[in-house]
Amino acid sequence: MDLTFLSSMFQSILKGLPLTLNLWVLSLLGGGCLALLLNLMRQSRIGAAVAGSYVFLFRGTPLLIQIFMIYYGLAGFGFIRQSFLWPFLREPYWCGLLALILNDAAYTSEILRGGLRAVPKGAVEAGRVSGMSRVAILRRITLPLAIRQALPAYSNEIISMLKATALVSTITLMDMTGIARAAISETWRAVEILLCAAVIYLAISMLVTRASAWAEARLSPWQFGRTTP
Amino acid sequence: MTALTPGQTPALSVTGLRKNFGANDVLRGIDLAAHDGDVISIIGASGSGKSTLLRCIPMLEIPGSGTVSVGADSLSPKGGRLTRAEEARARRMRGHLGFVFQNFNLWPHRTVLQNVIEAPLFVQGRSRAEATDEAMALLEKVGLTDKRDAWPAHLSGGQQQRVAIARALAQHPRAILFDEPTSALDPELVGEVLKVIRALADEGRTMLIVTHEMGFAREVSSRVVFLHHGQIEEDGTPAEVFGAPKSDRARAFLSSHFDRNR
Repeated sequence: MDLTFLSSMFQSILKGLPLTLNLWVLSLLGGGCLALLLNLMRQSRIGAAVAGSYVFLFRGTPLLIQIFMIYYGLAGFGFIRQSFLWPFLREPYWCGLLALILNDAAYTSEILRGGLRAVPKGAVEAGRVSGMSRVAILRRITLPLAIRQALPAYSNEIISMLKATALVSTITLMDMTGIARAAISETWRAVEILLCAAVIYLAISMLVTRASAWAEARLSPWQFGRTTP
Repeated sequence: MTALTPGQTPALSVTGLRKNFGANDVLRGIDLAAHDGDVISIIGASGSGKSTLLRCIPMLEIPGSGTVSVGADSLSPKGGRLTRAEEARARRMRGHLGFVFQNFNLWPHRTVLQNVIEAPLFVQGRSRAEATDEAMALLEKVGLTDKRDAWPAHLSGGQQQRVAIARALAQHPRAILFDEPTSALDPELVGEVLKVIRALADEGRTMLIVTHEMGFAREVSSRVVFLHHGQIEEDGTPAEVFGAPKSDRARAFLSSHFDRNR
């Protein structure tokens, strides 16, 4: 193996890391907020139907198609080209980010829904009899318990999203995968280049796995043999 | 019903309380008032409506009709749901009540101390120092000061229920409602919880206790109410209800219970 080539490739792919991290973190944040909103909507019958269809649509179609639909598809609508959103929606970055957020929200809302359903009814009733408002119960009891419950599944989603950001390279963005693809078409040394990129994704995934195990143990110490906080 | 002392509002009362789950009429017109210092045991067979009655008072179940009063506040919900304004009033009423559940319902993500100071801190807006001092005094009363930093999951059922009682007391309730507080406990743990409740009765606390512990009800209550099919069949002092029940149903229920227990 050509170590000098590998190390120079490694360095140029790392230049795409900021964009990958940017898309990853923002899509998780945006998707998380939207997911919470989707779950709050589920309290009314119409809201539940809307949230259900949303999840059905975005979970049931490939992310790649969603990215293309937003990047190539929206430009076909005159009113979008006229609207104040056009300066954003003609940029591949915003289209990619939007697709990632919308897609992440669908999955995260289902994960959160599972967590919310697992919250013991009695814990909520105990909040009600102590005079807490609905918002206080959500903030102090329901969400903290739901998040603890959902954490293992959510760490999966965090890693999925990291890898999903690679798809934005198809709409000209130079994230790590974008840089790798460009380098391949120049050098035709696909295996080494892809290996470099894969190693970086793997390293980040490993950090996520560690962090989520740490967070689980810290948030639910009673499940990990620790007797005091 | 106890005779009302003129000019004295009861700590809590229900009048004409009805509740149905579908075609099943669980409560069929209940009138009951508790004055300060009353300890009222509510007994009856499973399905007689005891727990539903108790749960209607803080509006954990919304009655179909009838009125619930706690102190100066009262609510007469219509159609099995609360309006926004009624919900706010229900919240105020709950603040004057303590509720102890059959399954303890401690918050699993908070330690013993955090469970006790939660409402004083975040609902009543007291200072942390004050709430903590008081919580420690309450934990001492239920004999669990050494467990202040333990997680609920690491406590026995009896200990969890005693924490739940301390949590209820921390709200400075005018009345405490106990919904079968010992029914989920292993037999050897029942005693420690009953001991705590008995001590509260001796302090002169106002309490409504739904229970299957007949011996206990007889000892601590100032009044015993026997429920059958959602109606009060028998209401009097323990001596009256246990010693000389008037209705056949109460007699049958009590004799079956005293054959089984003590």
